[in-house]
Amino acid sequence: MNAEQENMTESTQPSGAPAAREGEWVGFSLSRVWAIAETTFTEAVRQKVYNILIVFALIVIASASFFSQFGTEEQLKFMKDFCLGAVSVFGTMIAIIGTALLLPSEVENRTIYTILSKPVRRFEFLLGKYMGSVLLIFVSLLLMSIMFGAALAFKEQRMVSALHQQSSGVPLTEEQKQEVHATVRQIRAEAFDPDLVKAALLILVKLALLAAITLLVSTFSTSMIFNVIVAVMVLIAGHLVGSAREMWGDSAVVRWLLAIVPDLGSFNVADDIVLGNPISWVHVAKVVVYGLGYLACVVAAAHFIFSDREI
Amino acid sequence: MTRRRILAVAVLVVPAWLMMPLENSIHSENLQLRYGGAKVTSELRDQIGQGMAIALLAGFRGVVADFLWIQSHDYWAKKEWMRQYSYMKMVTMLQPQSTMFWDIGAWHMAWNIGYAVSVDPQNRTQAEGIKREREWWDRARDYLQQGIENVPNRPDLYFAMGWLYWEKYKDGSKAQEYFHKAVAAKEQPQNLSVRMDGVQRLEARAMEKSGDVKGAYQCWKQMWLQDHQKTEQIWTVVEREVKRLEDELRIPENQRVFPNPRSEPASPP
Repeated sequence: MNAEQENMTESTQPSGAPAAREGEWVGFSLSRVWAIAETTFTEAVRQKVYNILIVFALIVIASASFFSQFGTEEQLKFMKDFCLGAVSVFGTMIAIIGTALLLPSEVENRTIYTILSKPVRRFEFLLGKYMGSVLLIFVSLLLMSIMFGAALAFKEQRMVSALHQQSSGVPLTEEQKQEVHATVRQIRAEAFDPDLVKAALLILVKLALLAAITLLVSTFSTSMIFNVIVAVMVLIAGHLVGSAREMWGDSAVVRWLLAIVPDLGSFNVADDIVLGNPISWVHVAKVVVYGLGYLACVVAAAHFIFSDREI
Repeated sequence: MTRRRILAVAVLVVPAWLMMPLENSIHSENLQLRYGGAKVTSELRDQIGQGMAIALLAGFRGVVADFLWIQSHDYWAKKEWMRQYSYMKMVTMLQPQSTMFWDIGAWHMAWNIGYAVSVDPQNRTQAEGIKREREWWDRARDYLQQGIENVPNRPDLYFAMGWLYWEKYKDGSKAQEYFHKAVAAKEQPQNLSVRMDGVQRLEARAMEKSGDVKGAYQCWKQMWLQDHQKTEQIWTVVEREVKRLEDELRIPENQRVFPNPRSEPASPP
């Protein structure tokens, strides 16, 4: 019996019904992974916690368009900072809470036995759960980004119409007319900055990585609270890596130790984008490769621990 | 520890070490981007409070800076100008790459606070008011100078400095120097809060004010000789100024952009 068949039979033993006949090989199936991912996503969407979080996030983002007692440039900067911050915070909450619930609830409701008694490999189950969680994060980010875009468009419209209102009915010199046109152009350029997509992409990769870390923790823990606490600690540690490297980076031992924790600060390019600092696609690609590489390792580690776990 | 658990640890540690060069490269690029950004020290934490320090560490530098900026406005309303000043300095310490904070901060100091202290009823004499106003202009100048050191490639802060010299110090020569630096800045982004054609005109006016009338004429002439289709400019103003200076400097007929009314005017390029 090879390792894969060992996996199949060990997963079925607790339920008492063998999933595959001895000697039968069940290969990896993407359709099974997708079926589990879909179910995971549907279950998560039906949860009250998720709905409350997403509704609250959308309200917070929409309310950002009401910064009005400052200048044009200030208002747009505050709005972008605030919205991207809200997307990041609510996305983090959804990623951690949504993923921390996955395995403990399956074990607690004993549904894991039903699933693993079918010809489903543990890796497929784990990957399906993870994909469901990533799908949830993606949909949430998409919703929040659409709301962010709408809020920006609304703000831009209000600013431009206020400007036209101020200038209408007043005889303007050619210089003043050009001034109005230039201001409108500046508002549009500030509001519809295509670089904001880069910020959203890196937030998505960061949240997918956080979800993978939470999944890894939940493969050896049975408590959802514990999963959340450990994930939050990794989140904080991940943001401190950059500062730690600057402070103690001279020591090779420290550098090697720090490399084990993902540098989550690398994914925060939102501030730079809002300030208009040029962030190249090459830099974004590097961070995405770094994030995906880390994510793959974490999912692989989760697989090794989960396949060894007594259920 | 079973074989699979050892594998789990290995799969986490070994690739992480292999990715160290990539991580270092990303880190150094980030450092370049955030050049000059303040680190979260215990001193900074005491200044901004524990909650803000945590937000900073969690990567919300922009949100923290915005929040402090909004607070600085509250101190303006309360006429606590020194506190407003210290908050504005803190904000630029957090986000030194933001030209907006340097620009608006300096404007608050030189125009709003400067005026407010000059008419402050607590002034014993009018001279004291003038002296205090002048001190705020100097603060604004030093503040902008720091901004220019942090963001040397964009035109915004050079223009703000030029405008400060032009409007407040009434120093045409210094104003012209900074307007020229603004026009010559390496980066000319689309979303600038100032119009560069306006800065060009101001440069010519500042040159004339500082006594260099011939230089000012050359400046206006160069503006006129730009491609009118491709360059945004108020050509009627440029034409008027070129004509005025040609008359004033008595430029020979054959060297004029606009020969006298009886001759045909030179067509724009």
